[in-house]
Amino acid sequence: MRGLVRILDGNIFALSEENGDMVFSPANPSGFFALDTRFLSTWRLSLDGQQLHPLAVHDASYYKIRFFLVPGNPTHYVDAKASVIRDRWISDSAFIERLTLLNHTNEPVDYVLRIDVDSDFAPVYNVVWPHDSTLRGYRKVSDGGLRLGYRREKFHRVTDVSSSEPAELDERGMTFRIQIPAQQRWSTTLRVEARVLRPDGADVRERLGHPQGRVGAPLDDDLSQWLADAPRLRCDWEQVTTTYQQGLVDLAGLRFSPLALPNETMLAAGLPWSATIIGRDNILTCFQTLPFVPRMAATTLRLLALDQGTVLDDFREEEPGKMLNEFRYGELAAFEHRPQSPYYGAADVTPLFVVLLDEYERWTGDAALVGELEDAARAALHWIDEYGDLRGDGYLWYQPRNDESGAQNHCWKDSPEAICYQDGRVPGLPRATCELQGYAYDAKRRGARLAREFWGDPAYADRLERQAEELKQRFNRDFWIDGSRYFALALGPDGDQVDALASNMGHLLWSGIVDPSRAAAVADHLLGPRLFSGWGVRTLATGQISYNPLGYHVGTVWPFDNSLIAYGLRRYGFLKEAGAIAEAVFRASQQFTGRMPEAFAGYERELTRYPVPYPAANSPQASATGATFLLLRTVLGLEPYGEHLVVRPAVPSSFGRIELLNIPGRWGRRDAIGSPRAAAS
Amino acid sequence: MSEAVHAFFDGLVKGGGRMLRQVSGTVRFDLRYPDRVDHWTVSIDQGQITVAHGEAPDVDTVIYTDEELFLRMAYGEVKPVSAWLRNDFTADGEFRLVMLLERLFAPPPNAYHPREVADCRHSRTAAECRNPPRATAASATDDGEPR
Repeated sequence: MRGLVRILDGNIFALSEENGDMVFSPANPSGFFALDTRFLSTWRLSLDGQQLHPLAVHDASYYKIRFFLVPGNPTHYVDAKASVIRDRWISDSAFIERLTLLNHTNEPVDYVLRIDVDSDFAPVYNVVWPHDSTLRGYRKVSDGGLRLGYRREKFHRVTDVSSSEPAELDERGMTFRIQIPAQQRWSTTLRVEARVLRPDGADVRERLGHPQGRVGAPLDDDLSQWLADAPRLRCDWEQVTTTYQQGLVDLAGLRFSPLALPNETMLAAGLPWSATIIGRDNILTCFQTLPFVPRMAATTLRLLALDQGTVLDDFREEEPGKMLNEFRYGELAAFEHRPQSPYYGAADVTPLFVVLLDEYERWTGDAALVGELEDAARAALHWIDEYGDLRGDGYLWYQPRNDESGAQNHCWKDSPEAICYQDGRVPGLPRATCELQGYAYDAKRRGARLAREFWGDPAYADRLERQAEELKQRFNRDFWIDGSRYFALALGPDGDQVDALASNMGHLLWSGIVDPSRAAAVADHLLGPRLFSGWGVRTLATGQISYNPLGYHVGTVWPFDNSLIAYGLRRYGFLKEAGAIAEAVFRASQQFTGRMPEAFAGYERELTRYPVPYPAANSPQASATGATFLLLRTVLGLEPYGEHLVVRPAVPSSFGRIELLNIPGRWGRRDAIGSPRAAAS
Repeated sequence: MSEAVHAFFDGLVKGGGRMLRQVSGTVRFDLRYPDRVDHWTVSIDQGQITVAHGEAPDVDTVIYTDEELFLRMAYGEVKPVSAWLRNDFTADGEFRLVMLLERLFAPPPNAYHPREVADCRHSRTAAECRNPPRATAASATDDGEPR
């Protein structure tokens, strides 16, 4: 995607050109988006019929931006007799733009300022995967402003545009005819509201007790409070502090209040194309950030439990006890062209729910939530055996039932070619990828702890532990490729090993399913030349037929993936290797001004010298942002142990001294300080 | 045909839906007929369901719909969340309980257990597995009983 200018507030965002305009064309993703719908696709400003050109763009914060513009084409110098400032921000779910026109001459001047407004009301999915789109719906001019609307049966989306100053309205926009005295200025504030109307004319959110935006404080105060609550980081390697600060701001920007829990906030998974609840990304990001900003995890767990599957539904790939993969509110979900209402096609989210619940309690001591979610967690654990173990052999498998609009792979590498043999063939169905077995193992072990300590059910705990142990034995036997000494990426439908060398086995170290005798061989592969690019571990190793340094899941490097791998390496005692990955990923973040990209190309570091971002990546992306936090936890060696925070730093020399102050948890607040000298290796 | 509605709510009280023990809340269904509106209030107390026919002012969520759509949802033929997204019914109050509606209603007819689909080892896709359709598929929707 081209570098569009963006502002966001959780699941509401706007993308535009460098001059602030949104220009409609089928391949252009610019617009104002809310609830998975593009509410504005044209928003073009002109002065006396001339386009405006940017002199400067200042993005003061994630939710506000300022454009300095002049009419005409600035050549080698600018001699504008007028200029325009466009201040844009998001407030109460509305898109606001304050236009200021400055007359730089010593005469009064008459101006015609025009803003063209239109919309195609496209579902966000059709913007991500460009379809032919046309401007749709009706237009209505009234005293109060201009309304663009789109109706399909009772489904009704409306964009209301109004101005604080008088304007001439027509169905295609607004015109201001103004006279500005010498050296004076004029301004107006335009307000664009995205509304989801019911047949009775009310906005659905108003009738559901939704506060329409942040609870209470305005965004400025809210952001400073968020930053003040988070632990303070000081690191000799300045880049690490910069990336951490950017990470905190990006997490703040991704927060939104879900309809079902309107007074709490959780994260949208990524901007712009995943501005919604994605079960996997939400859980992983909470896991990554628990030592820093633990509150979101409670909301996320509660929300996923509310939306937990209760029936068999082939279209949505829903089963009782299963946790959702994706929720969308747009036209495609409403009319069942796509299954995200919500969609459950993922085999990893359900065990990871239990993993997060346990980890959350270990950090926060919030036993009440463990009690509140007991039935949901039990149903999730039951799902693994009843609906995940498709072949009755004790493994977690997936077999899509929605072939038309569902995902073909029900794991984080969900693109069709991601799960493959070394020779490039794609296995039949069902498939059991290796990391799913690790998650199931971990879920059972953690579920056992919850059952014993909180649910008063030691017999259930024993059973879960026994199952986990059997799974571990079986897994180390069936997935291990003897000659090559690594774990197969998956088992295929005949129980054969899908033998590609991939990053997935790094997650196995995180889950703890790897027999200790095999861990060194796994670590060697992860840090070896085929998987490690110098910027991190590739999703798929070089030498595999499907490897492509720009392949979404078959060669790129993903920061979130690397953070889990580093944490897993540390768990098995590979401190130096964990540090090497942390260093590589922070080094890469330097090229992106501290904003961790979703993925970057798998090119050898020596070849390109700088990490090449993946072209269509989300930014910010919640789980990529989360990588920063889990990598810091890894090098500082932060672990809750009973009521205490244990700090065992293993800091690579490039980091220098790290101080993390005010780490929240069941202990109140604690500090962690580490420096390279303290490293054991 | 409010007999079908009666039958549904009787069955709900007996069967208990698929509630979790940690869920509490009250939902009133306002069913619109040409000549009147019928009120049904479902109270969930720690997962236990009781139903009252008639008005109840202080509820967490009110669902406005007509009998036809209500019964189609109750029989599992229409998914409540997508119907809500289409504005086919409207809800006032807590959206949390809209998400939980599915736990009151019958499962979709004709859906497959993933194991049944996986058992068709020789077929690559689920669609091939489903040919011919199962014998039980036709009658499941007509009796109005959840599960």
